Amino acid sequence: MKETYEFNKEDLAEIEKIKAKYPDKKSPVMPVLWLAQEKFGHVEPAVQHLVAETLDIPAAHVYGVVSFYTQYYGERKGKFVFDVCTTLTCQLCGGYDILHHLENKLGIKAGETTEDGMFSIQSVECLGACGYAPMMQITNGVYCNNLTTEKVDSIVDGLKSGKMPEFEQIPFPQHQDEQKNSEG
Amino acid sequence: MPEIFIDNVRYEFEGKPLVLQFMLDQGLDPPFFCYHPSLSIPANCRQCYVEAGTPVMNRETNEWELDEKGERVIRFFPKLMTSCSLEASDGMVIKTQRTSELVERAQKDTLEFILVNHPLDCPICDQAGECPLQIQTYKYGPEGSRFEHKKVHKPKRIKLGPKVILDAERCINCTRCVRFTEEISKTEQLTIISRGDKNYPAVAPGTEFDDPYSLNTVDICPVGALTSSDFRFKARVWEMNQTPGVDVTNGKGCNIDVWTRDNLVMRITPRFNPAVNDHWMPDFGRDDITRLNENRISKPQVKLDGDSIKSSWSNAEMSMAEKLQEVKPEEILVIGSAFSSVEDNFVLNKHFSALGAKEAVFSPFIKEGSGDGFLIEDDQYPNTNGCRLLGLKELSPSELEASIKESGVKLVISLEDDLVGRGAVSAAAFEGKFFVYMGSNHNETSAAADLVIPISNSVEQSCSFVNTGGRIQRTVAAKETMYTNRKLNLEMSMGRLDRYGTKFDNWVSDRNRIDCMPAWEFLERLATLSDQQFGYQTTRDIIAEIASVNEKFSGVNYDRIDDELGVPLISNEQEAKSV
Amino acid sequence: MAVDWRNFEPLLIPKIPNLHKIEVFEKHDGYKQLAKVLKEYTPEKVVDEVKAANIRGRGGAGFNAGLKWSFMPKPDGKPRYIAANGDESEPGTFKDRQIFEYNPHLFIEGATIAGFAMHIDAVYVYIRGEYKAWIDMMQKAIDDAYAKGYLGKNIMGSGYDMDMYVHSGAGAYICGEESSLMESLEGKRGYPRVKPPFPAQKGLWGRPTTINNIETLANVPLVIKNGADWYKAIGAESHPGPVLYGISGHVNKPGVYEYPTGMSINDLIYEVCGGMRGGKKVKAVIPGGSSTPPLRGDALEGVCMDADSLRTAGSMMGTAGMIIMDEDTDMVDVLWRISHFYHHESCGQCTPCRDGTGFLEKTLIKIRDGHGEMRDLDLLLDLCTQMEGRTICALADAAAWPVRYTVTRFREDFEKRVKNTVYALA
Repeated sequence: MKETYEFNKEDLAEIEKIKAKYPDKKSPVMPVLWLAQEKFGHVEPAVQHLVAETLDIPAAHVYGVVSFYTQYYGERKGKFVFDVCTTLTCQLCGGYDILHHLENKLGIKAGETTEDGMFSIQSVECLGACGYAPMMQITNGVYCNNLTTEKVDSIVDGLKSGKMPEFEQIPFPQHQDEQKNSEG
Repeated sequence: MPEIFIDNVRYEFEGKPLVLQFMLDQGLDPPFFCYHPSLSIPANCRQCYVEAGTPVMNRETNEWELDEKGERVIRFFPKLMTSCSLEASDGMVIKTQRTSELVERAQKDTLEFILVNHPLDCPICDQAGECPLQIQTYKYGPEGSRFEHKKVHKPKRIKLGPKVILDAERCINCTRCVRFTEEISKTEQLTIISRGDKNYPAVAPGTEFDDPYSLNTVDICPVGALTSSDFRFKARVWEMNQTPGVDVTNGKGCNIDVWTRDNLVMRITPRFNPAVNDHWMPDFGRDDITRLNENRISKPQVKLDGDSIKSSWSNAEMSMAEKLQEVKPEEILVIGSAFSSVEDNFVLNKHFSALGAKEAVFSPFIKEGSGDGFLIEDDQYPNTNGCRLLGLKELSPSELEASIKESGVKLVISLEDDLVGRGAVSAAAFEGKFFVYMGSNHNETSAAADLVIPISNSVEQSCSFVNTGGRIQRTVAAKETMYTNRKLNLEMSMGRLDRYGTKFDNWVSDRNRIDCMPAWEFLERLATLSDQQFGYQTTRDIIAEIASVNEKFSGVNYDRIDDELGVPLISNEQEAKSV
Repeated sequence: MAVDWRNFEPLLIPKIPNLHKIEVFEKHDGYKQLAKVLKEYTPEKVVDEVKAANIRGRGGAGFNAGLKWSFMPKPDGKPRYIAANGDESEPGTFKDRQIFEYNPHLFIEGATIAGFAMHIDAVYVYIRGEYKAWIDMMQKAIDDAYAKGYLGKNIMGSGYDMDMYVHSGAGAYICGEESSLMESLEGKRGYPRVKPPFPAQKGLWGRPTTINNIETLANVPLVIKNGADWYKAIGAESHPGPVLYGISGHVNKPGVYEYPTGMSINDLIYEVCGGMRGGKKVKAVIPGGSSTPPLRGDALEGVCMDADSLRTAGSMMGTAGMIIMDEDTDMVDVLWRISHFYHHESCGQCTPCRDGTGFLEKTLIKIRDGHGEMRDLDLLLDLCTQMEGRTICALADAAAWPVRYTVTRFREDFEKRVKNTVYALA
């Protein structure tokens, strides 16, 4: 069975808005790919062709871009993708322990997807949250900081029951100290 | 004039040349992979490194600053420079690998890196023998490898399109192929995918590389990553003879190299001519090898009771001579051909005019709208302008059919042009006439002929064509016939096998030599029968005569055509149509 | 000279609740500097002021921002751009997101002032795709600024027009390199461009472009408000201003802290971050993101976070993303992971980087797994020489430096892991 993909009127209106930000035809390809990935959950070849046609640019160009940037899902992934950071600071602070814990818990290796299509695990490069290591990102969205195996367990269980963790604001330490001082 | 010093030798230059191109123009051999004179410059292979410096100018006196020895103070760039992207400036000093140990070392280093992930499969690689990577590794590479790890594995034998096959492991990511589709053929069908050492070129999923110019990417690939599906594993380059020629499948007349082995054309590649085709040619021009090798007419054929049977040359000459005596000169229709050379058309017209026949006619083969404004023209034949300049009478297909059908015409002589096959004339038009066809391949027109004379094609003789741009260009014999011989014909190229093999070696055979002769030579023999010899020894004699009797060809000779990559006879296309 | 940091009040991210909201920002002198510039300054005066303040680029290279601006050619009526670099992908760096989260309008104000100074038509704010949450925050702030007339047509009635757009990356470290960032903005694979031409001549879409780091632009309103002399008096003399130190690793209180430049590394570890976890000793400090050479823990005395002091110590300021490692850290493992990062992130354009990063990583894996020999250490250093300065952009250098300096400065860790190449007879 071949699935077909298309943009609806609202998407096309949004794409027009995106196009207005750039002076040429090729430049909007990244934001439009983001839009498509949010809509379809991936940017498999069929979606790449849709993007190429919509923007009137070569399909090969879209393919080259999709395969260059790691956040675009050129192949279908699980419903929830755990991007576990293992770079340097996270490595120092136990990022690999978190990764292996997740792997054991879900019974898959990094780069794989569970059979029910719910979860994928990826070992990724620095996500820019080094002060809050170890950490991971869920499906290009929310950051889960200062992970422990218990915290990971509750996140996975929460997701199973449809609860996405919320954005976690990490207070700016100098503000916090001040508060503590004033409280004290 | 501004000057530049390369390895302590002074050169003068004009304009703002790039150092690499300037060195190439001077006959130096800097190593490089990604640079191509007709493409943009990505400077990504990092092989053409040089040390570069500029003299220091004293701001006050506007003169070069001198050191205590009285020599110019040179300020060198802190890093090695890629000469491909470096613009020459007055007084610049360049040190290449010949004079700089640093450059020599850097080039070795780059080659070591390139070879880290490149399979060392030269013995089974088609590119071996003409591979820039192989050559440069021999010349500038490291002695061995320090890489003791697993190479990156990538897809092999991917069919990118109908004609091009990719071995991604061999790719060194020079991006020439991608740039070709972006900048030259403009189909943008290729891209590099993935990142880092996993990079390789690809087409978008579900599409194929069916660019009409796709095989040019194989030519410019500096390694064996892109190979031609037709030529793959057919011949090693050092076993072939390379002979210059002209593409006769289209009016553009792309300059080509004809690669033969054992008298078969193995492949056709473009030959650089900035005035015509630059470094490129369309794919269908390369498919011409089938026509050149296969389905050839070998030995004359006569029709007996409806069957075409092979006959001897003397028999063919005699029946032709008899027929000419039977008919009156005005009963002969001579049809020239925009597919045949200037020389053949000239001699054909001259021969029969001498007998009293009317001027030869011809009918161009033009498919309106099939051109692309680049290297593919509407004109399907290579010599339409040549026929025009020779003064042949131009007829439309219907006019031609009508002239054949005229009741006064009893003998029709046609030079190679598949009139029936291309739909210009119906086979029925020849009914009731004695039809002589001089051609090199069996086709619907030869099937309709009463007498078929096998003639040499454009790669079996030296001959010239005038392209749509009005430029006369010529071929050189690349392939022997029964009556030509590489060792006797000084113009023909000699390959390794020709030089060192003998008749008795099992890799040399006479099988592929066709029993045919150039049309002019047959006509010369015919003329001998009627005591009217022209005295032509080679096509050089013919072109010399044309140049002396037809002012449109004045000053044209083969040496000039060779030296100047063709000679323009008409300055523009408008003029070409009106001649 | 020690910097007086204890009495320092954050300037980039001052302790004002809800400052990310435009009303709060306006209440605290927000957009006043922009108004002042539009009313009283000529573009040249802004450039001169910023140049005099010596704001050194906070993205890693540390180049004087005003000087960079002065490279822009004279306006010719055709479009000119700023690309604000919020790609922030260097491991150890997580500072610009604090600006997006806590003080986005300071950046917008700075970028608009920069736009006015260079006759810019549009600012593209390039933010790494992983920062989805912060991209949304930034977009909200830009929308608010448009609504209040701080962006768009006829800004604050001055007749100056400028647009600002957010462009999301999608996972590529290399796009933090300025020319690669421009390629990415143009919707292409992030391949760095050959220079020359430089961005100021031929940048985005072939037009003059200046690329500045987010934090760099956020410093601009401070200079306009208080003057270049005031700014120059903050922190280290040759590298002045407030800076966002992103400190991570084995310290008790990791995070981003805003202090003047030139703070001593020991103060940052022991005073600001509350010392090492478990009271352990410092083994190594990477001062400015993973590409900067690591310093030995026993050689930190007197080393300060500014360009000069770090150069003397044998490293660089980079992004001020400091990674602190304790005595139990295995430098072989650390170096392998750094090399893995650069191998993964090499764009694959230039040969020495494409194949060199892989060569480095594979050799380090061999050593990590106990199969290495002494000669492999020399090989590593050799490979660094073969990569440094031999590519279009600096990624090859960024990959080579940590290898060179980790192997030389922590050689004992490596020697412990490798076999001798030359074996004794019998």
